[in-house]
Amino acid sequence: MNSSFLRISIWVYLAIFFAYLLGPLVIMSLTAFNSSSFPRISPWECLTFQWFTELFHDQRILNGIKNSLIIGAGTVVLSVAMGLAGALMLTQIWPKLRATYYTIIIAPILIPGVVLGISTLVFWDRINRMLGLGADSVLSNGVFLTVIGQSTFIASYCMLVLVARLQRYDTALTEAALDLGATHAQAFRKILLPFMRPAIASAAVLAFLASFENYNTTTFTFGEYPTLTIELAQKVRYGITPAISALAFIIVALTVFFALLNEAKLRRQELVAAARRNAMVQDLGGKIRLPSFFAGNMAAVLLVVFAVATITMVGTAAVYSPDQCIANVKEQKRLEAERRIQELRKQREEQRKQREAQEAEQGGAAQSAPKPSNNSGFGGVFAPGALGGGADAEPEAEEPPKGNGGFGNVFDPNSLSGDQ
Amino acid sequence: MPSFLKEFFNRNGTGMGLTILGLVLFWTIGLIILPQLSMLDFSFRPNLPPPEIGGPKDVYTLENYKYLIYGPEGGSQDYNTVDLRVFFRTLVAAVCVTIFNLILCYPIAYYLGQSKGSHIRIFAIMLIIPYWINEILRAFALRIIFGETGVLNTLFVGLGIWDTPFDFIRNDIALYAGLGYAYILLMIFPIYNVIESLDRNQIEAARDLGAPWWRIHWRVVIPYAKPGISSGCTMVFMLSAGALAAPQILGGPSSLWFTQLIYQQFNDNNDWPQGAAYAVVLLVTCILFVLAMMRLFKVNMGDIGK
Amino acid sequence: MSAGIGVDLESLWIRFGDFVAVRDANVHIEGGDFFSFLGPSGCGKTTILRAVSGFLEPSEGNVLIGGKNMKGIGPNKRPTALIFQNLALFPLMKVWENITFSMEIKGASAAERRRRADELLDMIALPDQGDKLPSELSGGQRQRVAIARALCAEPDVLLLDEPLSALDLKLRQHMRTELREIQQRVGITFIYITHDQGEALTMSDSIAVMRAGVIDQIADGKTIYNDPATAFAASFVGENNVFRGKVKRVMGDEALIATNRSGDLVARISTANRGKLAEGDDAMMFIRPEAFAIAPEGATGDHFVTARVTHEEFEGNAFNIFTEGDGGKEIKVSIPNLGQSFKDHTGQNITLEYDARNAVVVPAGELAAE
Repeated sequence: MNSSFLRISIWVYLAIFFAYLLGPLVIMSLTAFNSSSFPRISPWECLTFQWFTELFHDQRILNGIKNSLIIGAGTVVLSVAMGLAGALMLTQIWPKLRATYYTIIIAPILIPGVVLGISTLVFWDRINRMLGLGADSVLSNGVFLTVIGQSTFIASYCMLVLVARLQRYDTALTEAALDLGATHAQAFRKILLPFMRPAIASAAVLAFLASFENYNTTTFTFGEYPTLTIELAQKVRYGITPAISALAFIIVALTVFFALLNEAKLRRQELVAAARRNAMVQDLGGKIRLPSFFAGNMAAVLLVVFAVATITMVGTAAVYSPDQCIANVKEQKRLEAERRIQELRKQREEQRKQREAQEAEQGGAAQSAPKPSNNSGFGGVFAPGALGGGADAEPEAEEPPKGNGGFGNVFDPNSLSGDQ
Repeated sequence: MPSFLKEFFNRNGTGMGLTILGLVLFWTIGLIILPQLSMLDFSFRPNLPPPEIGGPKDVYTLENYKYLIYGPEGGSQDYNTVDLRVFFRTLVAAVCVTIFNLILCYPIAYYLGQSKGSHIRIFAIMLIIPYWINEILRAFALRIIFGETGVLNTLFVGLGIWDTPFDFIRNDIALYAGLGYAYILLMIFPIYNVIESLDRNQIEAARDLGAPWWRIHWRVVIPYAKPGISSGCTMVFMLSAGALAAPQILGGPSSLWFTQLIYQQFNDNNDWPQGAAYAVVLLVTCILFVLAMMRLFKVNMGDIGK
Repeated sequence: MSAGIGVDLESLWIRFGDFVAVRDANVHIEGGDFFSFLGPSGCGKTTILRAVSGFLEPSEGNVLIGGKNMKGIGPNKRPTALIFQNLALFPLMKVWENITFSMEIKGASAAERRRRADELLDMIALPDQGDKLPSELSGGQRQRVAIARALCAEPDVLLLDEPLSALDLKLRQHMRTELREIQQRVGITFIYITHDQGEALTMSDSIAVMRAGVIDQIADGKTIYNDPATAFAASFVGENNVFRGKVKRVMGDEALIATNRSGDLVARISTANRGKLAEGDDAMMFIRPEAFAIAPEGATGDHFVTARVTHEEFEGNAFNIFTEGDGGKEIKVSIPNLGQSFKDHTGQNITLEYDARNAVVVPAGELAAE
């Protein structure tokens, strides 16, 4: 009883945890397909792919991606090289210096990115001035500064990844290569580097991702080369559109794809190893036999499902046209707006009549006439959205707007942006 | 020392040795030490237009630090209450985020570290995926959820629980959720790494002796996981105190994060020395705070980053 | 067989900080010899090997290979090849790639390398194993691949750092024979490091016995076994019974030793110490277990030892009798089993007899640890 209660609470906890972790991503991804011009899912209007189209026509985003790729490549090269050198140094440095050295190379992980960005900017600006170079020199170039600034701490991550594998390296292998006539460079290239390759690949991926998503450091150093993250931040700060959701969806999808691919590959290697150990695995009897790649490989199955889903989606996007639906929604909104205006008019009419009646009855003593208690009346009048006949959020066209909903629209930023 | 260098070159060869040494020196001195010193130096200088830099007016001054404490000269107030309040609020909030993250992540790290099975790998992937998504997009996702017409408000208002949409952004709830969200992984992995190496038998033994579950954690697991916990807390604290993207996107219009002040000094006021001074204050305070905490909880520096 | 390239160590000192790993080593290794450095772990023998192969710069003195001073020449430029204790086969390369790594460095074509690898694989009796990874081979096979890889570099001197220590006993004994055969076939100088006296004695032309950075004796195996120069050499190589005492009288090549426990005993002075021992010097006398015979009861003289038997054991090819000895150490006596009848002596006194030519006297010195 007690243990089953504990188990249930663990699962509930896990569910809440992962909902917190993944929920935002799922919701954000979904908003990419809603035709509402504000990223949201709750008033679902129409399934649309227009945000993707819009995304691919956004020159600033495309330029940001280009800059991010250039800077990412530079950062990967520099930080993997420095991380590897740092790791090699750590394994052979004089013991008395080791603690100090380790503290220095691990510190950038803990230094706030903002500080790294500022110190990079200030330091290279000073070097630039000391060398008497102008404002357009390489040292004040945004790409250079960003690569340098990001590599400062990304190299520490790389170093941690690389040193973990380097500790398993037998230095006798390098000595054996030297002994057989190899130069130090040959021994490095032919023996150490192949051994380190998996870790170098991990470090490179890590470095690229860290560079790609970095904002705090880059925001001080990017100069005339805004990265994708910088462009996104600008957009998000000054008004959000579902085109960003579309980009997010693509990134999420790519991430999931590569994660599954990697997992499927690992799983496959494990299965192959297991099969070698136990040749009997093949003969499991007359059950339904999946191709060997899939057998017991959940990730591979998911990968295929994922691929099919992608193809379906792209296929649908090619033929699907939400125009009709969007037109319907627009029509509905227009009708609703009209109806509201009508209602409003009617209300005013009634009020006027009432007032007239009161005035008629009580003469000019009607100063304290009851004000309209329904806020939506006022809100509707002042909501520019309502006048534009556009982006009101209420989906239930049949129901009259109630409560504060109408009032809230006044502050709804997208009611200003109008309809797409 | 020279004998160490001689051995180093013997072992790596002259070319490789020079390459390694060059890269390490470039990194440690050129990218880590000198820029920090340069920023420190810069923070003690007045804000001068480029032609005057190095000129007679370019003297060391405490002005930039004074500004943080006393505000502009001849200002109406005795102290720079606005900036100081932002500064302390940032630190307190960062501590809160760290504690929140620890409470949230410790159980899952423990669960992952002590369970076996293939679903653990799936969990691990699910943990890592959000971390691979852009920091800005993570904040953006939370803004969709916490926005005035966002998912939560629609849900609660729709269910009739609340009458009016709750302004998560103005109340900084979105900000704390976003900061917590951003650094979950940095909290989980160090703790997970340590707990994974904890011998299950220790827990079994404690359970055999009749210890209740909270006592097992308090007396066995947490002391063992201390290096991981301190490592995770340090990283989360430093990074959330130094966060910029989440406060910019999720912060309310009236509540600033200290990094935003630094950002303003650089980008809006164009007062680099002032910004550098603020950055130095942030860095030094955070480091001192972390060191104090490490001393309080008796943790070694060497445990961090493992 | 002096056609090969020899190696000389001239007043070699190697220090690590304050620690002296090798103290004034002077060794001449004849070209084409199988030369062993024998000593307990930590005695500095591996350090010498690393100095010869070029991984260590000597603090003082010189390493000469083929008469040429190796100072400042790196390991990759020396005509030596080293077989590492853990073999250090490249784990990510196939066997044939491992073997011909030295050719790859020189830019040989794949076909050429393949051909050479096949030749060497035939030589080490591993044909058709070239496409495996080292991890797929057995311990003995890996051992042979390491030898082939070293030989492929066509070194003048092959250095072996306890290469058999990871193998089990049977394989180790088999590999001894094989190594010796290979050495004789290729005819180059082998320098072999071991702490196993059996390996050193069976394979070597010459052996250097090392203790704590010092070379005690350099000689062929028979000499070291029968005529040790120091107490350490006597006690480290083979089983030996020690009798401590003082020199009472020197009689030409022999000396009478007043032992602490067993009265006056006579023994031969080891060749290296003739003329160096004088009356009153502390000395140690060594008699091998197999050099004793049981004497008739009551016999006395300077080549009889009487002691109480503590226990006995039967080893198959011999009976071992243990008696009370000097300094808490038992005296071991081995009587070959020739089918004779044996009575149990436990608890009784027994008189043992030996030939003075089979007992050897050296100056008192450090003994090898058990």
